[in-house]
Amino acid sequence: MAAIEVTGLTKDYGTVLANDDLTFEVAEGEVFGYLGPNGAGKTTTIRTLMGFQSPTGGSATVLGNDVTDESALIAAKRRVGFLPSNPAFDEQVTGREILDLHASIKGDERREELLSVFDPPLDRKIRAYSTGNVQKLGLVQAFMHDPDLVVMDEPTSGLDPLMQRKFNEFVDAEKADGLTVFLSSHVLSEVRRVCDRVGVLRQGRLVTTERIEDLLDRTGKFIRVRVAGDVGSDAFALDGVHDVVCSTTEGGEADDSDGTGDEAPDDATTDGPVTECTFTFTGDVNDLVTRLGEHRLVDLDVEEAPLEEVFMRFYGETDV
Amino acid sequence: MFEIARFEGRHRVRGTALVTVALGGFSLLYVVLFPTFAESLGTDIDELLAAYPAALQKAFGIQTLTSMEGFLASELYTFFWMLIIGLYFAYSAAALVAAEVERERMDMLLSLPVSRARIVLEKFASLFVPLLALTVVVPTVVYAGSVAVDYPVDPVALVVFHALSVPYLLVFASVGLVASVVFDRASLAQRASLGLLTGLFFAESLLTDTDYEVVGVVSPSRYLDPNAVLIDGEYAVVDAVVLTVAAVALVALAVVLFRRKDIE
Repeated sequence: MAAIEVTGLTKDYGTVLANDDLTFEVAEGEVFGYLGPNGAGKTTTIRTLMGFQSPTGGSATVLGNDVTDESALIAAKRRVGFLPSNPAFDEQVTGREILDLHASIKGDERREELLSVFDPPLDRKIRAYSTGNVQKLGLVQAFMHDPDLVVMDEPTSGLDPLMQRKFNEFVDAEKADGLTVFLSSHVLSEVRRVCDRVGVLRQGRLVTTERIEDLLDRTGKFIRVRVAGDVGSDAFALDGVHDVVCSTTEGGEADDSDGTGDEAPDDATTDGPVTECTFTFTGDVNDLVTRLGEHRLVDLDVEEAPLEEVFMRFYGETDV
Repeated sequence: MFEIARFEGRHRVRGTALVTVALGGFSLLYVVLFPTFAESLGTDIDELLAAYPAALQKAFGIQTLTSMEGFLASELYTFFWMLIIGLYFAYSAAALVAAEVERERMDMLLSLPVSRARIVLEKFASLFVPLLALTVVVPTVVYAGSVAVDYPVDPVALVVFHALSVPYLLVFASVGLVASVVFDRASLAQRASLGLLTGLFFAESLLTDTDYEVVGVVSPSRYLDPNAVLIDGEYAVVDAVVLTVAAVALVALAVVLFRRKDIE
């Protein structure tokens, strides 16, 4: 049984078609990233899954329970943790009172353990909380009843880099324990770190769902190379090279003032023209190494293509 | 059960204490003022009142000011209790759902394994904290004060009036609750319910003997008369039943509307 099953899900607000015939599944034990730019309809799907609003078409189940059937969904919610994009709590009360309320309804067998990882100031009133502390409190309440599925809308927004890393490690550990996670994001770097699979949403439509490795493999490596000499951009014309951009700078100008004018470089970084090329490479890495070997390299960077670039293919192409 | 009601109720204690102290103080002030008022003006006051337009007298429930009961019925109960305290309950109820939606706190509540009906009902139930406090403290203060200044009121009539006013105040609160479910902003829900209830309150008296008299039928104030209870000892139990049925129907309407609502 899939933890989340979405079939032809549609939400038409009349003026906006926020979700257009979405179909996907999230398997048990999977961390699924729901990606897309702001306004793509990610939150609409999440709100429908949580029963905050009803779909205008299609259906969805959470842990096998129909989201439009209130009593079925309530049964599911005992095993579901939820973190909204902008968690908000009663300003007049302390964090502890909030957790006590949640505990009295859904349980809190993991509260203390979670508070040692995320540590919001429990005895302070919410009105005195920073954004990051509100987010921490939100994370604690989402996990405190030891749910089987956690749905999170933009979970790492508002966390500082240190907490973000803690969050990633925490999700990894939970995943190892069999937790299913459905999280949305427009911050791509956080997604590739924790997700097994992603779905990409654009203007209410699902563009693709695939394993994050496949997505990265398909998009290849981002190469930045600096070679000695004035080589043309066709120097790297081989299979699997995309979007080549080259520029040549006259090296050794500083040395010209000495009047040496020596063309032969005794130090690769100082003399002669240098050509810098950047491109995306999706071909056989051996071909690239052979081609690079024909040049005298000044510098070489090989990085995984940033997901932003990947998404440009999904978002960018049909944009007119 | 009742976790949400307990949580909400606990956070009403402070506000309840303020309102109860304020209204208790007002009540005591009225009671203590009455002897001076009665002794200096005597029966002339009712002659003076006779010159007032009938509608105005009715709007403020003025029947007689020469007895403690008549004085309290008009000055304290008709205006402060039936209008101001009524509006206080409507105002509080109007924020119950709308403020949560407006501040995006409703998501957190709905993510809990509780039904929407339970959220609405338990939130509404938290209003029983101020309702019970006022219903106990105000008549106690009024009775004790009246005994102290030697114009004792009938304690049974006083208790009966406050008992009958419980469904009356619940109708005000349930109108606010319906508005709270309909509107997504607390201020809108509060303005809508206060406007409607204030209009109905005055319509009931001002439209008497006009072609629009029928409007008064839906005004809660038609079904509670402090003068009849305190002066004449007439207890309109049927009217209280009408108010109870109206309150239950309005709360049920709020539940139905909230169950169907898309929270955005």
